[in-house]
Amino acid sequence: MAEYWNVSPGFEDAITRYFTDVPEAEVTLESAIPEKDFNSAGRGSAEVKNLLKRLGVDNDILRRVAVAAYEAEINVAAHSIGGKMTSHIYDDMIHIKFEDRGPGIADIDQAMIPGFSTADELVREFGFGAGLGLPNILRNADALHIVSAKNCPTLVELIIYFTPI
Amino acid sequence: MPDAGGTDHLFHTDMNDEKKQYFHALQILADNCTGCTACVKVCPTEAIRVRDRKASIDPNRCIDCGNCVSICQFHAIIPRSDSLETLNKFKYRVAIISSSYFGQFTEDISYAVAKQALLELGFDEAAEEAMVTDFMIKIIRDYIRANRDKRPILSSNCPAVVRLIQVKYPALLPNLFHLEAPMSILTRYLREKIREEKQLNEDEIGIFLIVPCVAHVTAVHQPEGVYKHLQDGAFSIGMIYGKVRELIKKVQNNPVEIDTYPKGLTWALSGVQAELVDCEDIRALSVNGIENVMDILSRVEDHYLDQYDYIVLRSCTNGCVGGCLNVENPFVAMSRIQKMIKEGEEQIIDIHNLEELYHDGEFAVAPLTARPIMELDKDIKTAIKKMKKINEFLTMLPGLNCSACGSPTCYALAEDIVLGKATIDDCLVLLKRHSKEED
Ligand code: SF4
Ligand code: SF4
Repeated sequence: MAEYWNVSPGFEDAITRYFTDVPEAEVTLESAIPEKDFNSAGRGSAEVKNLLKRLGVDNDILRRVAVAAYEAEINVAAHSIGGKMTSHIYDDMIHIKFEDRGPGIADIDQAMIPGFSTADELVREFGFGAGLGLPNILRNADALHIVSAKNCPTLVELIIYFTPI
Repeated sequence: MPDAGGTDHLFHTDMNDEKKQYFHALQILADNCTGCTACVKVCPTEAIRVRDRKASIDPNRCIDCGNCVSICQFHAIIPRSDSLETLNKFKYRVAIISSSYFGQFTEDISYAVAKQALLELGFDEAAEEAMVTDFMIKIIRDYIRANRDKRPILSSNCPAVVRLIQVKYPALLPNLFHLEAPMSILTRYLREKIREEKQLNEDEIGIFLIVPCVAHVTAVHQPEGVYKHLQDGAFSIGMIYGKVRELIKKVQNNPVEIDTYPKGLTWALSGVQAELVDCEDIRALSVNGIENVMDILSRVEDHYLDQYDYIVLRSCTNGCVGGCLNVENPFVAMSRIQKMIKEGEEQIIDIHNLEELYHDGEFAVAPLTARPIMELDKDIKTAIKKMKKINEFLTMLPGLNCSACGSPTCYALAEDIVLGKATIDDCLVLLKRHSKEED
């Protein structure tokens, strides 16, 4: 299995602490992401967005979460045979995990290059798969972690803090 | 359209007397309300609750979209507009007409006659939104080109949409087109012009809008982001319709030469407006109907519509022809207006005065403020506590979303309970289940 990590400068300590302690989330949301179901893809991130609005999270942060979560959710719907999205919400950050059942990313580093896309015909017809997925998530997340390999399930998880460190 | 337009149901008051915070041009007549909850279910911002079998509207949440007015079968939600008597306060009275007005009459009644009838109603001058359509398209394009970093730019002409963004999508406030809407641009221009030409004082000139919706009435009395005094009142098309029909009969026999601007009537149709703005370097999208608008705004939040430079957003079906204070069906009105546009002649309008005002920055709008309604608490820790409580109550509720409690959904009731606005006993289904268990 290949692994990819990116942590924005300044967040290293907080991220290490988080993954060591694994604190219990205040609120957890879960939603299934069915394969190639573009009608319901996006529901999970919409739910997260509504929750963050209720918590009064800052507008800029909200938009970053919206972009990253939606992008990642569509990615799972478009490229995998289905999976799920789990959001852990704390009073200072959100941790969202996307787990699918494969077929995996053959070359993660390549997938991180803007414009690179393996989207098949059906996906392109829907207007998704422009190859903006992962780089867009990277740009909006304070931490991004990907674990995958060809013919394996993929884990994409991201963290966004509510206040700058 | 429901007969909210029938003059009998209209409640005339001088609304200038009661300016409060978050004024709304809607009133619930408790005597007529049966507590049926139809309005509760259609409110896009969940602003309405029925308690003790009577509906009430939360002024902080209401965006004046008019959904509730259209759905209430008992004429319990009354749109208000100014009384025509207000005209008497002014020496010189001007009507500024929403383009949708011209779609309200059968095809034997011409644009010119419909306009002449309005003058007969008691105005010294009538101007149409349609006059400035070309100018608007130009400044919208300028604005888009100057603000590429904020794409997509969202149209700000529909006051219901602007308020929707303030309360539910505040992250998108910077994307709003921050210049005045056509009727307000005309107001500024005409006030200046008439003052000079007729040698009148500011307070001798009364400028009134003829509007298709509650949102515009509210906007006149409580404008957002304006720097200067705008209009003096608003009359709804539905309210004046009866009188206008009679006047039309009269003027049909004595038609006078009158300027018309059929090519500009596009403003009432959201689709056509988008087509006009669309050009080589600007992609425009048109969206109408409040549910569709919410769906699109959510996608804009996700940055998923960044391929568009401009989005025309209208709360009502087909645009302003669908406004709840019109009398004609939105599709019929649209077809009539399209016919007028197609058959009408181009009218050259001298806009150099408008251009000057525009270059002097006269049409700028102050940045709009967010009025978030979803926030449970200013403090995130407290908000989380409340959220957890809401979830607890939610698991106790039956999940039928039947609105019998008077809140729109089970979630909304759970939220109302936690915010101290309801109790779990408001759930009739639970009450029934409990009483059965006791038997
Ligand atoms: S629709 Fe609303 S205002 Fe009208 S009767 Fe029913 S509850 Fe009352
Ligand atoms: S679409 Fe037009 S008629 Fe409808 S609420 Fe908006 S401004 Fe009013």
